Amino acid sequence: MKRVISRGSAPSPIGEPVPRRDGIAKVTGAARFTVDLSLPGLAHAKLLRSPYPHARIRSIDTAQARSYPGVIAVVTADDLPDVQLVYGHAVADHPLIATGVVRFAGEPIVGIVADDPVTAEEALRLVTVDYEPLPYVMTAQEALGTDAPVLHEQPGEQRPHRGFEEDIARTHANVCSHSVQQWGDVEPAFLEAHLVLEGEYRYPRSYAFAMEPYNAIAQWTEGELTVWTSCQHPYMVREDLAHCFGLDLSRVRVIVPYVGGGYGSKSYTKIEPLTAALALRAGRPVRLVLSIDESILTTRGDGATVRLRSAFDREGHLLAREATILLDTGAYAENSPLVGRKAANRLGGPYRIPALHVTCSTVYTNTAPASSFRGFGAPQAVLAGESQMDEAAAALGIDAVEIRRRNALAPGERPWPRARGLDADLQADLDLAVEAIEWDAPIEPGRGRAICISASDAGSEPMSTALVRVHSDGSITLTCGSTEIGQGSSTVLAQMAAGEMGVDLERIHLMQSDTAAVTYDRSTGASRTTTLMGLAIGAAARDARTQLVQWAQETMAPDGPTVVETSGGVTIGDQSHDWGAVVRSFFGGSAGECVGRGYLRKHGATEQMPPFWEIGCVGVEVSVDEPTGRIRVERLVTVGDVGCAINPQLVEGQDIGAAMMGLGMATREELIYQDGNLMNGNLFDYRVPRSTDVPDLRPIIAERGDGVGLYGAKGGGEGSLNPVAAAVANAVERAVGIRLREAPFTPERVWRALQARDAAGTAPDAEAGDASR
Amino acid sequence: MIPRFALSRPRTLDEAFDAFAASDGEGAWIAGGTELLQVMKMGLAQFRDLIDIKALEPLRGIHADGDGLHIGALTTHREIERSPDIARAFPGMAAMARRVANVRVRSTGTIGGNLAFAEPHSDPATLLLASDASVRLCGPAGERSVSIADFVLGPLSTAREADEMLLGIDIPAAAPSTGRAYDKIAFFERPAASVAVRLTIADGTVASATVAVGSVGEIPERVEEAARRLEGITASEEALSDALPAVIDALGAIDAVDDLNGSPDYKRHLAGVLLASTSRAALREASADV
Amino acid sequence: MSASLTVNGRTRELSIEPRETLAEVLRERLALTGTKVSCDAQVCGACTVLVDALPVSACTYLAIDADGKRIRTVEGLADGQRLSPLQQAFIDHAAFQCAFCTAGMLMTATALLEENPHPSRDDVVEGLEGNLCRCTGYAHIIDAVLAAADATPADVR
Repeated sequence: MKRVISRGSAPSPIGEPVPRRDGIAKVTGAARFTVDLSLPGLAHAKLLRSPYPHARIRSIDTAQARSYPGVIAVVTADDLPDVQLVYGHAVADHPLIATGVVRFAGEPIVGIVADDPVTAEEALRLVTVDYEPLPYVMTAQEALGTDAPVLHEQPGEQRPHRGFEEDIARTHANVCSHSVQQWGDVEPAFLEAHLVLEGEYRYPRSYAFAMEPYNAIAQWTEGELTVWTSCQHPYMVREDLAHCFGLDLSRVRVIVPYVGGGYGSKSYTKIEPLTAALALRAGRPVRLVLSIDESILTTRGDGATVRLRSAFDREGHLLAREATILLDTGAYAENSPLVGRKAANRLGGPYRIPALHVTCSTVYTNTAPASSFRGFGAPQAVLAGESQMDEAAAALGIDAVEIRRRNALAPGERPWPRARGLDADLQADLDLAVEAIEWDAPIEPGRGRAICISASDAGSEPMSTALVRVHSDGSITLTCGSTEIGQGSSTVLAQMAAGEMGVDLERIHLMQSDTAAVTYDRSTGASRTTTLMGLAIGAAARDARTQLVQWAQETMAPDGPTVVETSGGVTIGDQSHDWGAVVRSFFGGSAGECVGRGYLRKHGATEQMPPFWEIGCVGVEVSVDEPTGRIRVERLVTVGDVGCAINPQLVEGQDIGAAMMGLGMATREELIYQDGNLMNGNLFDYRVPRSTDVPDLRPIIAERGDGVGLYGAKGGGEGSLNPVAAAVANAVERAVGIRLREAPFTPERVWRALQARDAAGTAPDAEAGDASR
Repeated sequence: MIPRFALSRPRTLDEAFDAFAASDGEGAWIAGGTELLQVMKMGLAQFRDLIDIKALEPLRGIHADGDGLHIGALTTHREIERSPDIARAFPGMAAMARRVANVRVRSTGTIGGNLAFAEPHSDPATLLLASDASVRLCGPAGERSVSIADFVLGPLSTAREADEMLLGIDIPAAAPSTGRAYDKIAFFERPAASVAVRLTIADGTVASATVAVGSVGEIPERVEEAARRLEGITASEEALSDALPAVIDALGAIDAVDDLNGSPDYKRHLAGVLLASTSRAALREASADV
Repeated sequence: MSASLTVNGRTRELSIEPRETLAEVLRERLALTGTKVSCDAQVCGACTVLVDALPVSACTYLAIDADGKRIRTVEGLADGQRLSPLQQAFIDHAAFQCAFCTAGMLMTATALLEENPHPSRDDVVEGLEGNLCRCTGYAHIIDAVLAAADATPADVR
């Protein structure tokens, strides 16, 4: 592990690679995930799904299933008159079970609850549905055709305060949302430019493959709803459940045990409302566990077509960018309007661009719904932007790193008016990548290198709370609503509480993700937890310490001397007292507790959005096997520009994991639809990276204390994914002289491009893609 | 989720055939179950009765004699991978087995099950097709032997009658100075293309050859024209290199299936890449055997 | 059907339905939920357990076939409170994040090291090829397995 540290010092155990606090539980099999839980009387649900991509449901015959032995409840939309069926994050357009029409192959139509899952599955075969198939659209381009079938006759209701506040202008009936990012005047810039490049870049529809499939247990007791679920944002799920069932937020309890992978795919609400509806009708606690094949049909990543035009001057300075982004959001909006907003924001990259005009439409298609997925609009936009930077470098005869240096934003410089200035040093990041990938060293034939960078307006909204509860023995319970999804929040947040309270890490106990037992956090996504929940923990610790010092003064030294705060307690004269002693003294006995409260909102240091910029900086070296078209990433450098690595081992794990995921999308991963159906909706045919795909890795962590978080921390974990596809495309271009614009760069696509190159008689080292003019 | 079924565990062949007869056409044999249980889970096949043949002794064992190799149907991929007899008599088969699916499937999946299931991407079927292997089938009416070429009829379809069971595989001993090689290219769980080549050298020339291509067409198939173009060439690297373009060109006859692995011309191209490498490997082995 | 399963050294007599998988019996009947099911298609390796020392996919292995056999799961790796060298190496190297793959990784790696106590890096990379992990990018897992191998004295096993 390489760390480059130029930040101020931080208290122990900040910056130390302490072992994960969930370690023993996770290596012994003791760690409990939602799928491992059970309840007395637990019943089991299975779902009947549509075989058609678009159809009207004429009738559903459930009579036989209802009388099948062992069946407890059979539920269709008609069985739920008392439930608000339609929910949605940014736009409420998604019925929790099909209401008269199905909009993608795989949409749930009937839920059956039985004593055991096999019986439920058997009963599903007894249901007959009479469908009237409707014309369907599989791509955003098709969906925008003049005669295209319309998926949603009525626009879904826009939900306020969900992070997507702009007006949804329906330029076409199948447009779900439309975002614009704009400054300056692009047209004159294109007229004056020395070089204008234009190209279309495609990013695949993808699957996050969180290994724990979507699953939940719902239980109703005395009019209150408890849901255990494998999700990232328990408080948002709570809000949607309250909305569907007309409950006070205080009557909905969402509990999240360990989560078997998220990567954004478990952001927001998925199967929880349906599970709760099934439990409501069954009168029993109900478990719904989707298979991985069903999970693929539940949420995927947005596919993108990005048409990008860039204008440069003779020295390679960007003068303008203009882009049209189409995101294929599938049958329901889910969170794609925000993904679209972010894709538009992120297209500019970490560059100084005098004029920019980006429009991004999310478009309904008859495919599985798309939503958040690690990178969140950035990988889609960055493939276009960073590919074009290399194309420009080649056309202008400028080194590909040098052209980035000339355009990169300086620390503090604003990417767009009113945005937070860049909290990163991109020149220094590039230096690290250049050195590690040996940018200037000779390279063997058939290989190529590339370095790409990105900046994402990350962190989502600053809305977090935390409690620091100091007990009478000096131990501390930290409660916060952030979820442990594998990223290591349970370790890192405890490290920060220990650092802020000046106590040993072993004395911190963390409680997470139970909306009835811990206080609010907006979400666990957008790389926000360490930074934003960290600040809430800092505030809670400060609040506790302030009270404790005051208590010590009042009860331990009422007549002076002045109580002096030290690390982990107070000193009065020459006597030291730990926090526990102060608590005991205040309550005048052996018990009691001090509660420190921390609130974080859009205020003070976190008033300006985004809360931080998440930097991506990667270098790759690829080889191309010309006979088969197979690409192999041989070397990979990541620069984790995270301000302060609270736990460097975990930061490194995030960076490597993110980059490997990016490598999957760059080379292999793509959901393929044909004739209305998903052709590779299983792990046989959707191939994620394996141990044999791991390149020679050089993860670097850069700590300059320039983030808004505690000790100058800022978010990581997505940045190292975002530039990977572009880096691979650029490295392939340098290796064999082909310009790939459609990810994933599958062996066949590469082989065909090589064939075309040979047919055109271009030498491998010839420059410029066909986009330059 | 595996649907419900009844299971019987016969100890003898007769008990097994009785159990099958009692299943009224709703029965199936099960050994390792790696293919069968998977399709049952996916709802692609359903059987009321499964008859577990793992205890049947006549289906076990690997032995080599003058005729060649005899491999019991219950032999797992892992056992093939590690058998000293196979390592000696047919090293290419051990190498093939080492790369079937993954370590868990190799632990439980059997060669008999693999062939009887006739998955179009089967590694063993392609290799055995080029090796003139045959399968021994046994039914209530008795035993018969069928060449692999006649055994695999289509995707998931074989010449085995429903009440017949695959006893084992016979692989004839290779003639002197014979090389047999297999290789595949896989992008997903199963190969995108696989090629097996057998070459026999006599008097310094390739006296006879067999070429089998798997995963490209609907089923593993022999490409006779490619084999014919290998025959008669001088047994040297150079001569082979000169002949290869024409040999590979013969793959154009394959009716390739357009699937997730690629379009037909690309898959045929991959088979050509493999044919070049496997021909060279087979020639090396044959030459070393002189 | 009745069966006798020896799981992590303890023998249990069970009545098993033919359709029950080993994963279902371990998780639902024996409360050994450390073994996870993910792809349910023998691809991902999350459900890997050892049956008579061989790794199998418990999601597609009939429980009845384990009758009379010795089964090892992640819960059986530690000796009381003492973690196996491999488990310790996984903690030391942060070789997991969400850990849904971890039980399978540990069991596959345990079998690998029992057969080949001092593997090369390539042996480990190839040995783990059939086990998917979506969080870590594998690097820390490979490091952990190699470290556990180094921690095993050459004369043991």
